[in-house]
Amino acid sequence: MIGLRLLILAAGFIAGWQVLVSATGVPPYILPGPLPVLAAIVEHAPTLLKHLQVTLIEIIVGLLLGGLFGTACALSMIVSPLLKRWMQPVLVISQAIPVFALAPILVLWFGYGMASKIAMAVLIIFFPVAASFYQGMRRTHPDLLELARIMDAGRFATLRHIIIPSALPAFASGLRVATAVAPIGAIVGEWVGSSAGLGYYMLHANARMQIDVMFAALAILAVTSLILYFSIDYLLDKIIYWEPTQGIGT
Amino acid sequence: MNKSTRFMQAFIFGLALLSAAPAVQAGEKFTVLLDWFVNPDHAPLFVALEKGFFKERGLDVELIAPSNPNDPPKLVAAGKADLAVSYQPQHHMHVDEGLPLVRVATLVATPLNSLVVLADGDIKDIGDLKGKSIGYSVGGFEEILLKVMLEKEGLGLDDVKLINVNFSLSPSLISGRADAVIGAFRNFELNQMDIEKKPGHAFFVEEYGVPAYDELILVANRKNLDDKNLRTFIDGLEAGVQFLVNHPEESWKLFISGKRKDLDDELNRRAWRDTLTRFALRPGALDNSRYRRFAAFLKGQGIITHIPALDTCAVELD
Amino acid sequence: MTAPAITISRLTLRFGPDQKLFDELDLTIEAGMTTCILGPSGCGKSTLLRLLSGSTEFDLAGAISFVPDTAGKAAWMGQDDLLLPWMNLIDNVMLGARLRGEITDDIRRRAGDLIAKARLSGWEESLPATLSGGMRQRAALLRTLMENRPVLLMDEPFSSLDALTRVKLQDLAASMTTGKTGVLVTHDVMEALRLAHRIIILGGSPARVLKTLCFATPPPREPDNPDVVGNYGSLLNLLLQEDRR
Repeated sequence: MIGLRLLILAAGFIAGWQVLVSATGVPPYILPGPLPVLAAIVEHAPTLLKHLQVTLIEIIVGLLLGGLFGTACALSMIVSPLLKRWMQPVLVISQAIPVFALAPILVLWFGYGMASKIAMAVLIIFFPVAASFYQGMRRTHPDLLELARIMDAGRFATLRHIIIPSALPAFASGLRVATAVAPIGAIVGEWVGSSAGLGYYMLHANARMQIDVMFAALAILAVTSLILYFSIDYLLDKIIYWEPTQGIGT
Repeated sequence: MNKSTRFMQAFIFGLALLSAAPAVQAGEKFTVLLDWFVNPDHAPLFVALEKGFFKERGLDVELIAPSNPNDPPKLVAAGKADLAVSYQPQHHMHVDEGLPLVRVATLVATPLNSLVVLADGDIKDIGDLKGKSIGYSVGGFEEILLKVMLEKEGLGLDDVKLINVNFSLSPSLISGRADAVIGAFRNFELNQMDIEKKPGHAFFVEEYGVPAYDELILVANRKNLDDKNLRTFIDGLEAGVQFLVNHPEESWKLFISGKRKDLDDELNRRAWRDTLTRFALRPGALDNSRYRRFAAFLKGQGIITHIPALDTCAVELD
Repeated sequence: MTAPAITISRLTLRFGPDQKLFDELDLTIEAGMTTCILGPSGCGKSTLLRLLSGSTEFDLAGAISFVPDTAGKAAWMGQDDLLLPWMNLIDNVMLGARLRGEITDDIRRRAGDLIAKARLSGWEESLPATLSGGMRQRAALLRTLMENRPVLLMDEPFSSLDALTRVKLQDLAASMTTGKTGVLVTHDVMEALRLAHRIIILGGSPARVLKTLCFATPPPREPDNPDVVGNYGSLLNLLLQEDRR
């Protein structure tokens, strides 16, 4: 089952890490071993927890808002061909600009608080969700649409009962990608200007050359991202009950 | 050591550097990693380079600006470069974390760090900072500077709001996002604000309870202290400072020559002028008491855990 | 609504610059009976059916009229059952009503009756993925019948089923579609002979009516019925000839 497999993978990873450190003799200020990092996690647990809360809120709110905007964007493009023609280039451009370049501008507009980090996350999340949902809806089986037409279905009814449900598996793929990259948005936002969060804490520890603490924050972030991903995966499997083998949890 | 032996040594050393950071080329180069992008704080280094003071002593020096300011000390500690420009406060912290680095020369012999506010703002002295927001960039040291400066007026860190503005110190001050900023270099940020027609006023950290320290130093790997090239480099650097002090105008022209032409702007010109008086006139010299005093200060503030023997942290090379 | 007759007059349909699928085609579908349109693949019988369903994506000349006029209301069943995988059996059967926002207790009761008649009782809550091919096609048939429309258009509805299931479903369909005007497009000669009141054979390019067949006995016919046996060989040969052209 997934639990056991994850445990074995984690153990293998930690063992490999230790071997790498011991074999290459890399100094601890470049790559600390797993034990010093574990010690740092334990020692700084309250601080790490405090910063984790901040970053987690940024990621989750970013996911919610980004998912919402992406969904709304895709729906509006399906419903209105005019909107589609104008929005499609905007969508593509939003991905061509690296998020890192936009970060300082976002901080300028939204300030140094959580808002700018959430905005960063939303920018990163919005495209995978919008694109995959839109493509999913576009690929609705034309025979189904024909059947709906013969049955005198209105546009809204067709959208609600046929087009949207049939696009949900594609939407789920996009959402999974978004969940995987959401932490990046939050962290990059924190790097550009913040006083709290795991990204900020990593920067702070790095500046003090406390590399074990920096890796501790990184480890916490990695584990949290994994848990978030599997949670969303599980949720999506429940919602899309008719195609149960989509996720990697099985 | 005769010339051919020195050549061999440099050649082998150069070969060892083949696996180093991409900016380092194969060959007999003596690599010095700067702390930041090239700026007037590095004047003596570039004057010495351009006047050939290193070459005439048999040293082929390469000055490299890092892409990540946190890397240079790590790279020297890992043996990937010969020298790095570092900061004395950060250097004490690095030594405390176990990095095998030793200060061998001083570049800028005064603090440059300062607390800056808008000149026409309502903060006229440190006491006015109560309840205000202070911008900083994450260097690991700013909070302590601030804490000490506030203590003199009976204030604590809880009396102010700290916001991490990363490297946008003057913009955040000018835009009003921060009432004051700490970590601003007095020779830079003040000039930047003057040019933007929003002059600033600086409170110098050493005048508010922080012991005086060297803002820019050169650190080497403890294993290489016997390398004669280090002293040779310092001799070249000394000649550079000397020339700079004697011929400031010509030195400026050397600084902005060749590939560094685009450094010729108003900000750098003004910063150059303000930094001239701050370079260490005797780069190789070490003031033992000054370094011990600062280490004690850092320990007292809980920044470092123990005070090491001085020669593990700073030396004067023969 | 009384089942209408359908008249196609002087139908001309182009596809591509020089090719005509139909050229001044005249064809009549009798009211209240099942008419099978038989022909080789690609002759245009599916397109004809789509035209009858009211599809507007073709550039055509000529007229298609329903007498009496049913305002174009037809029900459709295709080779693909088109069951929505996220809806259970009874919801799929009630799909038309749901799309039109007309779900009532009466509709639900009717759906349940149809499901019982098709011997699918007990499977109302099942998702399509758990049903066999035959059960799914039965469900599609029920969905079509729920529409309660006077015209039934079926495009090779049983061709994806195995022989035995196909026969069972043909019998079920025949028993439940009495009185409606049915147009069944198929390439299965046996199916046409078993189910049709009238067979129209389309062939050639552009397509035209090659032959029409009427019968003495009513459908559904047993495979050993003289109408079936007597015509099977000649029809098959005719189609093979057309196909070779």
